[in-house]
Amino acid sequence: MVDQPIVEVRDLHKTFAVKRDGGVSMLHALSGVNFDIVGGETLGLVGESGSGKTTAGRILVGLLPATSGTVSLFGHSITGPDGKAQLASVRSRLQLVFQDPYASLNPRMRISNAIAEPLDIAGTYSRKDRNDRVAELLELVGLPKNSVERYPHEFSGGQRQRIVIARALALNPDFVVCDEPVSALDVSIQAQIVNLLLDLQDRLGLSYLFIAHDLAVVRAVSTRVAVMYAGAIVETAPKAQIYSDPQHPYSRALLDAVPRADPDAVRHPVVAGEVPSLLSRPPGCSFHPRCAFATERCRVEVPLLRDSGAGRRVACHLFST
Amino acid sequence: MSSPLLSIQNLSVQFRVDTGWVTAIDDVSLDLAAGECVGLVGESGSGKSVTALSILRLHERTTTRISSGLILYQGQDLLRAPGSAMRRIRGSEIAMIFQDPMSSLNPVLTIADQMSETLRQHQGLAGAAARKRVVELLGLVRIPDAARRADDYPHHLSGGMRQRVMIAMAIACKPRLLIADEPTTALDVTIQAQIMELLRDLRRELSMSVMLISHDLGVIAEFAQRVIVMYAGRVVEGAPVAQLFRRPVHPYTMGLIAAVPKLDSEASRLATIPGRIPGPQEVIRGCRFSPRCTLARDCCLAEQPSMQLVSDHQSARCPPRILALSEGHG
Amino acid sequence: MTDVGLGSLAAAEIAAPRRHGTLRRLLRHRSFMIGFSIILLLTLAAVLAPLISPIDPSAMKVRLRFRPPSSAFWFGTDMFGRDVFTRVLYGARISLFVGFSVCVVSGLCSAIIGVIAAQFRRLDGAIMRLMDALMSFPAILLALGIAAALGPRVSSVVIALTVAYIPAGVRIVRAAALTVREMDYVQAAQVSGASSLRIVIRHILPNCFSSLLVHLTFIFAYAMLAEAALSFIGVGIQPPIASWGNIIAEGRDYATEAWWVMLFPGIAISLAALSLNLLGDALGDMLDPRQKGGA
Repeated sequence: MVDQPIVEVRDLHKTFAVKRDGGVSMLHALSGVNFDIVGGETLGLVGESGSGKTTAGRILVGLLPATSGTVSLFGHSITGPDGKAQLASVRSRLQLVFQDPYASLNPRMRISNAIAEPLDIAGTYSRKDRNDRVAELLELVGLPKNSVERYPHEFSGGQRQRIVIARALALNPDFVVCDEPVSALDVSIQAQIVNLLLDLQDRLGLSYLFIAHDLAVVRAVSTRVAVMYAGAIVETAPKAQIYSDPQHPYSRALLDAVPRADPDAVRHPVVAGEVPSLLSRPPGCSFHPRCAFATERCRVEVPLLRDSGAGRRVACHLFST
Repeated sequence: MSSPLLSIQNLSVQFRVDTGWVTAIDDVSLDLAAGECVGLVGESGSGKSVTALSILRLHERTTTRISSGLILYQGQDLLRAPGSAMRRIRGSEIAMIFQDPMSSLNPVLTIADQMSETLRQHQGLAGAAARKRVVELLGLVRIPDAARRADDYPHHLSGGMRQRVMIAMAIACKPRLLIADEPTTALDVTIQAQIMELLRDLRRELSMSVMLISHDLGVIAEFAQRVIVMYAGRVVEGAPVAQLFRRPVHPYTMGLIAAVPKLDSEASRLATIPGRIPGPQEVIRGCRFSPRCTLARDCCLAEQPSMQLVSDHQSARCPPRILALSEGHG
Repeated sequence: MTDVGLGSLAAAEIAAPRRHGTLRRLLRHRSFMIGFSIILLLTLAAVLAPLISPIDPSAMKVRLRFRPPSSAFWFGTDMFGRDVFTRVLYGARISLFVGFSVCVVSGLCSAIIGVIAAQFRRLDGAIMRLMDALMSFPAILLALGIAAALGPRVSSVVIALTVAYIPAGVRIVRAAALTVREMDYVQAAQVSGASSLRIVIRHILPNCFSSLLVHLTFIFAYAMLAEAALSFIGVGIQPPIASWGNIIAEGRDYATEAWWVMLFPGIAISLAALSLNLLGDALGDMLDPRQKGGA
């Protein structure tokens, strides 16, 4: 039985107008992004800076408007003419967990109020229900009940991230966008939060879009992975395949570049060059200036994301017939 | 056996807070031989950056003080050296690069201007000679189109490029020791790989010693020859890199290595270290790691453990574990 | 390792409640205590003026003219035989009242205008140009103009000074609000569907408060000094109502014969301004680096 995807993104474009050197230039943050997320799964979205992964995440929760393309959440299109109304109707089913545990909580708000804010905004909860729910959420994320009257600065980074997660779960969402939720945490704390997210997914049946640059963390969390480069998805595959047999040269380069905590590990050649400026992307495939396998076709024609068998898709001319 | 290039002995540094002074690092000792690469690894609050800044006495004078210890560079105690000696050593003998190249570069000066300043200070170069050396150095750090790039301002360059410029400035006077404090933490993974490769090559070409500070065990594993692990202001273990990863002794080291997510791991849950890192103000009787240690015994909670040798080149601050190992367990 | 034990471990590690942390820190801060004590003393003196000195400040006794400071007349008498000490006490009422009112009203206006400028980009340009125009006049000249137009009374002085000091406050609030708007916690509220009003009231304003507060302590001091200056010039409070400024003005012609008439109100003004500066500095220290995420 095929589940109806809860998130459907088709040909999503996002451009920003930036003031530069006297004039205005267009920055292409996203250039035709396509992906689906089905219920209960975690799609890991990896990429380096300029890949567009954070922008995609923000568009999905309605913080940024799309320039063109369609985004459907739970069957409702938020990019259509009545997008705002559609978004409002599904708002309680989606949420966002942020990266910086120090900037994602209002320093002047007690954490009980911070966690209950989604409930207060919804406005339909009695005082008792609200407080009960806050206590429930604190327990869910492993924080003690006596934390309610405290302020964010009294907590460590890892604990603050738990508070942020508690807030995200307040209205029982079905889909949570996690934007680099553990990148700012120490390694030993990262592991705790990752496990917490996985446990919550099991208990509550959540779906995640897990945005990160750390491939190893993504591996621990995701069911499927999408690799982004310079505003486009270059490859999507089930987790196991992308790590054992990456198809796109950039996926390969990315995996090779990750330093391994094992002095015996084989070191791979380093890919040269840098991520192109999104104001002036190279013609054809954005990766071709750095790609060891680039052909003439790569320099001219933009490769589209196409099926390459076994639930995999890749945007590379090397794989198209 | 020649004496080490740099020897930190029983260094303790304190920070000032509202209520008085607190210990940032306590009894830190480490040696670095000429041409060696030592990795200093730890999470936040471990004291690794404080240790590094102390070597060049770069810490904030009013809020930090060195309460005890020595830092011997080629036999001379840097902590008691006069200001003029330190100024000579900084940049030409010992150089340092930091995490965020944007704040280390002056935004209103061109790259060439900034680099010329260092060259003028330490090598007396000026004018055309300085310019030539600048372009030469930029080429050494593999910046393409070096002659043109020299006239750019920092904000024209990407993060990776800026870090290369920082490295160029650091190696300008061929220092004997380069201290790199989280040099790639703010960079993308592919750029990080490029910069680490550059550092590896430069180390060889210039016969430089490197002290690499990082929280990333992978970066340390790929670069360092010897690793010092710090936790909550103390050194907890020191070993050659292969030995550290294959047979870690201290429970924190074991936990840290286990907690790092692996690219090739099939596990569905990550191994964790329960609890959280203590702040410098927290006074813990006994071992600083004991509240989180699954192997803690009574002796751990009662008194501060001391560093003990495990083998020729490995030492750790965990007497119970060392005892267990020598008796054939663990 | 499972996470079951984490809840209890996490519980054990949260520090004991530091509910009175701020208060305790303030009490320990020397500048704050000195500044606060002086202002408190001056305020009490002003409020309890009739109790402290039952003499009528406007009572003229020609036979007692130009008496130097003595045990009977602590600050001496002026050219009309009025007790300078009593006049200075009553003058404190005016000065502190003006300082306080200007502080509060300009603070409120700055907060509202600053937040509007930060929230509505289209209005921002117009508002800031207007503020720039106001700021291009030295505050005292602007206040002079307004006070002269409205007539010499306390309310004119308050209005004039409020208008003169609003632009500086607006700048501060706007800058703080712009920073706070970009913070993740504001975005989190947006994701949850919060209205702009809710975001302004619950998130933006509380986090602009500390920057504004420090600024307002200095405004208090400036307003007192400005009132003294306006009254000195003759555009502010008119005698026989005592104001520190007009006491000094009246004493100007008798500077050599009765130096005490100018000296004591002068000391009072300096003391008040100094204490407010100390207070403001202390608050700035306290509030600034402690909290990340605010502004």
